[in-house]
Amino acid sequence: MGIKLLVIDDEQIIRDGCTRILSKEGYDVTTAEGGEQGLEIIHKQRPDIVLLDMKMPGISGLEVLGRINQLKIDVTVIVITGYATVETAVDAMKEGAYDFISKPFNPDQLRLVVKRAVEKRRLEQEAKMLLKDITNEKSRMRTIIYCMADGVLVTNMKGELVLYNPAASRMLAIADNSAPGKPIRELIRHKEIVEMIEKQISSINSSLSSIYKEVSVNKNTVLRVHIAPVRGELGELLGFVSVLQDISQLRAMDQMKSDFVAMVCHQLRSPLSTVIQQIGAILTGVVEKEKEKEMLIKVKERIRDLISLINNLLDISKIEAGLAIQHKELLRLDEILKETIEFLKPQAEEKKIEMEVFIESNLPSIDGDRECIKEVFLNLIGNAINYTPQDGKIKVDAIKEGECLKVNVADTGIGIPKEDIPRIFDKFYRVRTDKTQKIRGSGLGLSIVKGIIEAHLGSIHVESKPDKGTTFTLFLPASINPNI
Amino acid sequence: MKKILLVDDDVDFVEATKLILESKSYNVVTAYSGKEGIEKVKSENPDLIVLDVMMPKPDGYEVCAKLKADPELCNIPIILLTAVVSKISSTGYTKEMGMRIEADDYIDKPVEPSELVKSIERLI
Repeated sequence: MGIKLLVIDDEQIIRDGCTRILSKEGYDVTTAEGGEQGLEIIHKQRPDIVLLDMKMPGISGLEVLGRINQLKIDVTVIVITGYATVETAVDAMKEGAYDFISKPFNPDQLRLVVKRAVEKRRLEQEAKMLLKDITNEKSRMRTIIYCMADGVLVTNMKGELVLYNPAASRMLAIADNSAPGKPIRELIRHKEIVEMIEKQISSINSSLSSIYKEVSVNKNTVLRVHIAPVRGELGELLGFVSVLQDISQLRAMDQMKSDFVAMVCHQLRSPLSTVIQQIGAILTGVVEKEKEKEMLIKVKERIRDLISLINNLLDISKIEAGLAIQHKELLRLDEILKETIEFLKPQAEEKKIEMEVFIESNLPSIDGDRECIKEVFLNLIGNAINYTPQDGKIKVDAIKEGECLKVNVADTGIGIPKEDIPRIFDKFYRVRTDKTQKIRGSGLGLSIVKGIIEAHLGSIHVESKPDKGTTFTLFLPASINPNI
Repeated sequence: MKKILLVDDDVDFVEATKLILESKSYNVVTAYSGKEGIEKVKSENPDLIVLDVMMPKPDGYEVCAKLKADPELCNIPIILLTAVVSKISSTGYTKEMGMRIEADDYIDKPVEPSELVKSIERLI
């Protein structure tokens, strides 16, 4: 068992007897003839249990007991008293001895008294460990609560704040040096939340359930406040814990979504309503015969725009769902650029716009979706043509830069005003100036371009000077597959 | 002959609506932006204004608010044309919003020509 015993007795018979009996029980036994020797051994070996004879020549047992106490070590003392002297035993107990055994004693009595002492030590150890566990558990809980991203407030039945974590402090701007124990009315500025908690405290039915509510604490922050009762062991109500969740982001997203839906509604309904008006006018016969054809051509254009808008919306939703890239393959930019420019040539020629292309030789390929990349250049170069007046110039060049391909699409067109540049890639954003009045578009083109480029792990940038021109620069990572 | 000022940034819509209203013997003047609309109200002195809401700033709501706040112009009836479904948007483009801004009537686009004419006849 590894339990160390020390027997301090001037009588050899006692020392030998104890040693014999207790060693058989598995204890580790040492002996001493007198008090001084005993104290030395205690100091050096730190026994767990000491059997101390009270009646010894030289230094008395009581004095030895006193000196043992002074050492302030963890030792359990059993005193051996003389012939039926209860007083000595009582004195010794008062001095801190745990138990006594009186001479003469038999082996059973000895074994029993030692066993009791061993048991007492064991229980003491256990209690110590439990206390340590609880402290650990408490500090673990505390750490968890302190690290939570959600705010936690604990209030007692008097409406005093007994615990709060840094997140709660941040969300409700609780002053840093507020000691717990103050009423929540003093510490929390947000009336709605204070009232919620106070209502729970004073409500008769509060013990039944937890409640939650969404509260706006300032212009940009919305919190979901969840209040639940805290009960003691017997089910009695001790207070309330409030958990605060910051749902501002969720709300903002919801707002963005409904704004988008509203925009789409408008964009679809507006041209349709114009078309109905135009056809209505023709059918009512208020349009002169010569103008009818003109109007019908306009109707057709509008409907075409709508179809294009619907296609764009489908592209956008694919991009947002992460499904932009349907089919990946090794693509050669020079091929795609040449194809796109061939396709747009008639439009450019109509406005007498000169198109110049430079593609670096041995340009690496990229991994991408052919249709997507075609769309990107159709959009960028198409825009360049639309926003460049007669006799303008468009230059497209593609070079290798580092691990990427860098493509510039530059025009000498009307340019983009400085204040519009940050929003140019936003959905439905269109620059509205006198110069752009006549140009048709859904406002989704650049948004789609950006979405596609980013889905291909690239990036796109724009630089522009009003009336001087605009340059779009995009980067796409080169394929890691070797060039064929 | 009553004069109607038609304000909408959609050129084709204005053209078609003008033809319809003229066939009903109204004199129609046009404006293609909020700014132009306010200018024309002052210069043309119409008997009624048909005002589209969704235009670049100043939009229909701003124009309506401005006119109704002006003691000289607040008596001219205004019909607001809205193209957005009332229930969905919370950015203020709703029929309810139109109500708060005190237009005299509001019609959802697409607008039935007969509906517009009826509303005009009711107001002037």
